[in-house]
Amino acid sequence: MYQLKMVASPKLPRLAALLTTVACLGLAGCDDHAGDPKMQIGANPVLPAVQQYLMPPMRVAKAVGWGDETPTVSQGLQVHALATGLEHPRSVYVLPNGDVLVVESNGPKAPIYRPKDIITGWVQSFAGAKAKDANRITLIRGANGNGSPELRTVFLDHLNSPFGVALIGHDIYVANTDAIMRFPYQDGQTTITARGTKVTDLPGGPIDHHWTKALLASPDGSKLYVGVGSNSNIGENGIGAEYERAAVWEVDVASGAHRIFASGIRNPTGLQWEPETGKLWAIANERDEIGPDLVPDYLTSVKDGGFYGWPYSYYGQHLDPRIVPQRPDLVAKAIAPDYALSSHVAPLGVAMYTGTDLPANYRSGAFVGEHGSWNRTPLNGYKVVFVPFSDGQPSGPAQDVVTGFLDANNHARGRPVGLAVDRSGGLLIADDVGNTVWRVSGSLPKPAS
Amino acid sequence: MQQRATITEATLIGNADLAPPRKRRGRPMHKILVSFSVAYFTGAFVTDLVYWQMPDVLWERFSIWLIAAGLIMAGVATVAYVIDLAGRRRIDRPAWPRAIGYGLAVLLALTNAFVHSRDGYTAVVPTGLTLSALVIVVLLLTAWVSMAQANRHRIGG
Repeated sequence: MYQLKMVASPKLPRLAALLTTVACLGLAGCDDHAGDPKMQIGANPVLPAVQQYLMPPMRVAKAVGWGDETPTVSQGLQVHALATGLEHPRSVYVLPNGDVLVVESNGPKAPIYRPKDIITGWVQSFAGAKAKDANRITLIRGANGNGSPELRTVFLDHLNSPFGVALIGHDIYVANTDAIMRFPYQDGQTTITARGTKVTDLPGGPIDHHWTKALLASPDGSKLYVGVGSNSNIGENGIGAEYERAAVWEVDVASGAHRIFASGIRNPTGLQWEPETGKLWAIANERDEIGPDLVPDYLTSVKDGGFYGWPYSYYGQHLDPRIVPQRPDLVAKAIAPDYALSSHVAPLGVAMYTGTDLPANYRSGAFVGEHGSWNRTPLNGYKVVFVPFSDGQPSGPAQDVVTGFLDANNHARGRPVGLAVDRSGGLLIADDVGNTVWRVSGSLPKPAS
Repeated sequence: MQQRATITEATLIGNADLAPPRKRRGRPMHKILVSFSVAYFTGAFVTDLVYWQMPDVLWERFSIWLIAAGLIMAGVATVAYVIDLAGRRRIDRPAWPRAIGYGLAVLLALTNAFVHSRDGYTAVVPTGLTLSALVIVVLLLTAWVSMAQANRHRIGG
């Protein structure tokens, strides 16, 4: 759509800047000068100067669906639809018996605080982001590789914008947007009718800007780690709205008590244990509206007590001018994340690969589902990438693994969200625009006749 | 030519029909609407000043809604102006300088609405606040020029 901007320079005569802007309006779009995303992948992303827009660019890919198409996978891989016709599937979770849980969910209705909120909501509806909220978890059984599941049942219903799921022993924990709920689960159970008990409240409405709550159980099952996103892009709802947000929570399973494990992470949408070191890693969505190449989203190890910058700074000590008053004390200790994924790719799913089904080059590293940009030209993300790891650290550039979510006209056939590795080592991808769960496997699961 | 520059109470109202009654009489609709938008823009300048001194998001929200309301009123005023012209209600003689000045102020306010739609502090300081002030300056100058043209002297620019 629009790609107009005004470079904020205090020395530039304001009228001249205005005239430039008016000229831009007349020309229907000045060049955005987005750089090569490859410059922003890895430990040391190139960070350009902050831009301030007159009209923030909104460039969403129109949702068109897959038709007969399927995603494109790199050599040595195959892709099948595990389940289709879902309602806005956002995350996937695999139970020990191989059953796959698909969380069908969407955010609560966003309140309107400014005229901008009306326009944003209107634009997002083109991207399929306003689908109705099914608020349920569907169970899929026996669909490995052949596309026709033996069983598909509603596993849990009447949830409240759920996202994260974790099984500890015989308890299923579901992270609704406003609380963690516990449900009893027996092996092989296909539907749960129990009401569930609340473990702890989570920061929810009325704003609930970043509503997804990622969930990860500690290996010993005593703690739950929760990714709680910020309540704004960059604090525009007031710092009071950010209480205990933009953080990773550590919740004691037995008591429901919580503490802030790490903070300053704008929107930690996925949590995983790195298998070699046993350290906690997260993917995070960084801030918008200061340029097509700011700020790169990232994948990082999460240190206990660590502060990662938001909202005051990014990538260490790069100050954000939109936050006043600043907090030099916090900025001084802000940790730069380990690995940039490039700007506005919107990572919403992460899976550390420990299986053996995929080719050897995928056996150590993280898959990341990049939902795709809505405010950058050209579009960025809309794919699943693989970040190779060695010795518990990222060890090379991210590789495209699953693409084809955009068609030739830059319309979205689908958008990848949550990821999981199934019992046979296949990679599962929730696609909330294609309303499908895709399964990526190694070559030739069953030879053609 | 038929108009006399006699200072009467009616003159200070600014648009009294001094010409002999010909057709319809009455205050042009657009003028009332214009004063609404001017009041909204002035309010936005005030809330911007408060935000500058005390950056609570509340004031920034006041500002953007005030600017938006001012722009809507300006839009309605423009429609009313056309209707007034079509309906041959009397438009004051120095209408063009006033219309141009007002149009400029509205354009600045429109730009300001975009600046105020940014997130955080830079939605107001410094560009938004500057534009809000500029809108007021342009409106005051416009009022002063049109009053000077009408041989009046009440408010200085």
